[in-house]
Amino acid sequence: MFSHAISRRNTIRSLVGGSILFPGILSELMAAEQQSSASSAEPLAAKPPHFAAKAKRVILVFATGGVSHIDTFDPKPTTNGRDGEGKDKLMGCVFGTKPARQTGTVVSDLFPQIRDSMQDLCLIRSMKSAHFDHTEAAVGMHTGSATFTRPSMGSWLSYGLGTVNQDLPSFMVIAPHLPYGGTQVYASDFLPAYHQGTRVIPGQEPIANLTPRTPRRSLQELELQLADMLNQSHLQSRRDDTQLAARIKSYETAFKMQASGPEAFDFSQEDEKTLEMYGLQSGDTKSFAWQCLVARRLAERGVRFIELVDSGSRPNWDSHGDMQEHVPLAKASDQPMAALIRDLKQRGMLDETLIVWATEFGRTPTKEGKAGRGHHGDCFSIWLAGGGIKPGTVHGETNDIGQTAVSDSVDVHDLHATILHLMGIDHTRLTYRHAGRDYRLTDVHGRILHEILA
Amino acid sequence: MLRPFIVLNQPLLTAAAATMLVASLTSAEESTTFFRGLNLNGPAVTIDGNVWEASDSVNYICKDNAFEQQSVALVPSTDADRARMIRSSRWGGNRIELTNVPSGTYPIYLYVWEDNNPEIFSILVNGQEVESRFNSGGTGHWKRLGPWYTDSAKERIVLTSQGGAANFSGVEIYRGHHEGIVEPPLAPEKLAFFENRIRPLLIEHCYECHSSTSDDLQAGLLVDSRPTMRRGGASGPAIIPGDVEHSLLIKAIHADDDSQMPPDEKLTASEIADLEHWVASGAADPRSDATRYVRKKIDVEKARQFWSLRPIADPAVPTTVANSSWASNEIDYFILRKLEEQGLQPVVDADERTLIRRVTYDLTGLPPSPEEIHNFLTDDSPMAFERVVDRLLDSPQYGERWGRHWMDLVRYADTAGDNSDYPIPAAYLYRDYIIDSFNADKPYDEFIREQIAGDLLTPVDDADQNENTIATGYIAISRRFGSVTDRYPQHLTIEDSLDNIGRTMLGMTLTCARCHDHKFDPISQEDYYGLYGIFQSSRYPFPGIELDKIPKDFVPLVDDGKPSETLAYAMADAQASDAALQVRGDPKQTAEIIPRKFPDVLGGQMLAQADAHHSGRLQLASWITATDNPLTARVMINRIWQFHFGSGLVKTPSDFGIRGTPPTHPELLDWLASRFIADQWSIKSMHRRMLLSRTYRLNSFDSEPAESAATRRAAVDPSNDLHWRFNRRRLDAESLRDTMLALSGDLDPAMGREPHPFPPADKWEYTQHHPFRDSYETNRRSVYMMSARLNSRPFFTTFDGADRNASTAQRDSSVTTVQSLYLLNDDFVYQQTRRFAERILSESDNDDERIDLAFELTSGHVPLDDQRLATRRWLAQINAELRQEAGADEPKQLALETWSAFARVLFRVNEFLYVD
Repeated sequence: MFSHAISRRNTIRSLVGGSILFPGILSELMAAEQQSSASSAEPLAAKPPHFAAKAKRVILVFATGGVSHIDTFDPKPTTNGRDGEGKDKLMGCVFGTKPARQTGTVVSDLFPQIRDSMQDLCLIRSMKSAHFDHTEAAVGMHTGSATFTRPSMGSWLSYGLGTVNQDLPSFMVIAPHLPYGGTQVYASDFLPAYHQGTRVIPGQEPIANLTPRTPRRSLQELELQLADMLNQSHLQSRRDDTQLAARIKSYETAFKMQASGPEAFDFSQEDEKTLEMYGLQSGDTKSFAWQCLVARRLAERGVRFIELVDSGSRPNWDSHGDMQEHVPLAKASDQPMAALIRDLKQRGMLDETLIVWATEFGRTPTKEGKAGRGHHGDCFSIWLAGGGIKPGTVHGETNDIGQTAVSDSVDVHDLHATILHLMGIDHTRLTYRHAGRDYRLTDVHGRILHEILA
Repeated sequence: MLRPFIVLNQPLLTAAAATMLVASLTSAEESTTFFRGLNLNGPAVTIDGNVWEASDSVNYICKDNAFEQQSVALVPSTDADRARMIRSSRWGGNRIELTNVPSGTYPIYLYVWEDNNPEIFSILVNGQEVESRFNSGGTGHWKRLGPWYTDSAKERIVLTSQGGAANFSGVEIYRGHHEGIVEPPLAPEKLAFFENRIRPLLIEHCYECHSSTSDDLQAGLLVDSRPTMRRGGASGPAIIPGDVEHSLLIKAIHADDDSQMPPDEKLTASEIADLEHWVASGAADPRSDATRYVRKKIDVEKARQFWSLRPIADPAVPTTVANSSWASNEIDYFILRKLEEQGLQPVVDADERTLIRRVTYDLTGLPPSPEEIHNFLTDDSPMAFERVVDRLLDSPQYGERWGRHWMDLVRYADTAGDNSDYPIPAAYLYRDYIIDSFNADKPYDEFIREQIAGDLLTPVDDADQNENTIATGYIAISRRFGSVTDRYPQHLTIEDSLDNIGRTMLGMTLTCARCHDHKFDPISQEDYYGLYGIFQSSRYPFPGIELDKIPKDFVPLVDDGKPSETLAYAMADAQASDAALQVRGDPKQTAEIIPRKFPDVLGGQMLAQADAHHSGRLQLASWITATDNPLTARVMINRIWQFHFGSGLVKTPSDFGIRGTPPTHPELLDWLASRFIADQWSIKSMHRRMLLSRTYRLNSFDSEPAESAATRRAAVDPSNDLHWRFNRRRLDAESLRDTMLALSGDLDPAMGREPHPFPPADKWEYTQHHPFRDSYETNRRSVYMMSARLNSRPFFTTFDGADRNASTAQRDSSVTTVQSLYLLNDDFVYQQTRRFAERILSESDNDDERIDLAFELTSGHVPLDDQRLATRRWLAQINAELRQEAGADEPKQLALETWSAFARVLFRVNEFLYVD
């Protein structure tokens, strides 16, 4: 079988075109595997949800550090009259506030454009975290467990639903810096490794090893061709092994991803108006606007779970000394997030894309340092938009100084259960057997927030 | 010097133990005398019949501030003299130097109290911590801490505290072996009152829900013994003798709301009056033995019917098989019999090149060299394979490979796992201990004993003592959590220790029972807290944490019998005490005290009274390694089998419980476990037994035509549970990296024997905002790479490396696009293939020889003729392609580029990435 001369043209065609490369055995194997649905050759193949899904994908914006609810989405101007009261020095919202034009929901001037989008959002003001250390709270928000490592929400969705585009990972995390908790926040832990988040680092090579290193592309094709011939002859006698077949297939996917990956990060086809809407300068890859536009492009390309980490390292939202530190961070994310919502809406994608903006906890109603605030887990604000939520609503309420939730408290398990529900997954049925136990994202908890569903 | 002591203010647990205790008390008390009492701020007082000296005594030095607040109500209330002594105290500085103490042994007590907010502090006697992180409680709480057995040095004893602000009220010193209980005999009239009025009342109205015979104990409160009543349940002490006002029981019988007791009907006025009188007059109560409520009545006999809990059998080898000439050793008969039961026969043997590659990776994690392959191929002796096995078992790389398996199981890491991920520079000592232990074929029972309780073993010399100390790094590397030392969640660190012991050594998921009785396995919450007490009584080293950056409590190694400057991250005993059961796993909600013990279903062994002043780790180690423990040998045998054959006889290697899967070959499992114990737990003997079986030599695929028996084998047993063939495996992350380095010639084969280049501890400023994130590169084998808990290396997560936070019993071998991208484009792969190409070019001038060598190095095989031919043509094509590149016309450079491309191909093929 090695006697015929190697024709490069054939190889290239087959690599790019897909299945031509894999006649005979491999396609048989693939077909058989796909029928049995537990495909190890195509482990990320899309799977049907438990019931009709409202959303097909999730974009999670994680504002790490702890965004002050009192100074953003749950402003407490009434506290102004009581400033300095008590031995712990109460401090009201330090920014101006205004009701949103359409819904009347009061939001501070830190997020003027998101405020103008309130009619598309469901704001939850009664979020609760059991932890007020960054690491535990951040890991808890992602995995449901603060102390023991568990798979991340994105890994669970990848496991439950697979993904439609095999040329890109199912779970991608755009993180210029790692958030608190490090790689744990997007780890697949005991779920198979292909469900782990693939980190995207803004810059020249957003996904590691995506750029061919060979001096010319034809050389890489030739290399793949010889490897393929050797692999085919190896596979010939080992017909029972789907892993070997999957490995051969994965080079094809990797080869294609070298092209489709950079394409997803290439804004040259975006029009001026779009760039302007996001507030993006040409050539800029460092801003949060870049992350938001990438999110839309990945959403278009069928990535199941996209996470944007908003400022992983300091300075982040952890404003202990001065609430004014929130200003540049809000300025950097307000316009691009509003643009993302509008952009998806214009393209008819908002209905099937669930956007979640979250942080690990809120900040104290009392002053810390000169004019900052401490960590506060008892209540804080997050918001959702798009796929299946009731737009223009506010869920939950906090007391007059923003210290505790007085109604409709929501914990992280409730949020997870609701996100899974919107994706067509029953959170009590998405389980994975590990070390003698069936594990769930929501452990033994979780209440679906039917009140916020459309 | 401090000596171990017995804490006798803990309740007595069983009647037998109580009897023993009383006997020892009686004899001990004879030799005990009151030596001195010091009221640190105030006049001379009489306490428990002993006269205490006033604060102007010349028998101590204390420069602390004096403070008094006599209006505070004490909790519990107490007699007037004691109360006056307690409420006047010293604070700030917290140093008391007792003087004029002749040399001898002195049990010391220290009275402390709290005037306002709770404080957490530790007490040190002569610089040694004796009370760790004591919580003073709220306003009015007081405690008589001790006794601490202390030898007077130079006629002085120094008491100090660390941490929060402590109020020192008084010091009470005895001479001899005082055990702390002062219990006058009950007055006859009080005894009669209890027997006639109180006991019947409690039985009638309370026992249904609050006794050891209750069907469903409420609020963790037992009123059927004196100690349990005074200790109380979830809400605190039920009665405080002499203090009617603060006794919860009295409150409850008066209550008109949900808290009313008994809940259905209020007691009569005279019954209430009787109880009040009883409490007010000191609550005399002869029921001195603490009762115990056994929550889950596990039917132990029934539970032991389960396959993994039955005694290990020693079945006869089933020699009556049809194809008996196939079998090489006993293992093969067990395998063959199962196959024949299904009408199957095994496949043919693997060829010799496949076999030597298989066993070399298996035992060393590295590929065989061409010379080793050649020696094996040319050795015609029937002992040829045995000689290979012995050579590999004797090589230091064996310990590096199998030590890594153990490191997976014990979730080894070089950092602590807290929010800032503090480095543990001394952790490598434990890593090296593991590697050395495997190389030395340390008996497995000894290996376990040292890791759990090495510090408590009797060493033969310094080296032995150091080895034993370092071994307890196993417990010490348990995960740390959070950022704080105040309210540090120690229960989670202990849970991590127990979780790992359970999974790794016993194949049990113990920690389900932290919050509730195990839903599936016969493990109760009592079993969990029985083990918990052992680790609550142990001192973990402190690696540093965000809000207290200084490491402490490491254990010095010894040099020439004296402590050296080298510190090990190791364990020691702490103050020994049994643990309280935590309701729903919440450490704030404690219920009854559970004696330290082994789970009932494994024998329920308890600490002998004579051992109660130790943590109990030594006893735990002996319970785990007892030859009649049904799990330990079975679990380890199954692991060895799994690492050799690719999957275990039990497919759930760390869960031998009901949710796990039963063994495919139960008789073989037991036969091997019996041999393991009979061979003095020798792991290397077990390797030889398994590796020299015919089963190990089987081909990894069925080479017979599809129409023949082959299809039947795959159809009957597609997952190869019956071992009709060998299981092909992907190179794990370490083997892949080490092989690339070995083939390029860059591998540094030295064994790691020094710490990682962490910055010095006094420079540590790690916080959760700036956690430890360094990563140190090395060309040593991967087992020696620094591994952090919170920040994993991308290469290892990409290729399914071990979880640094939880026990990994079995590596995944996933196939992902990210892996393929790595092999296509990563810098490391490019560097190594280039170096590999240089090596190939330098070893021969002949292209065919170079091709053969490259194949042999990467896959253990020489290419088929048509493969060689195709490769030569391909090289020519590459050469032509490259010649088009500018600057690539220099012949040497061109050859290097060409052969580098070929090397990249070989590093991507399945024959390289998988071991047949």
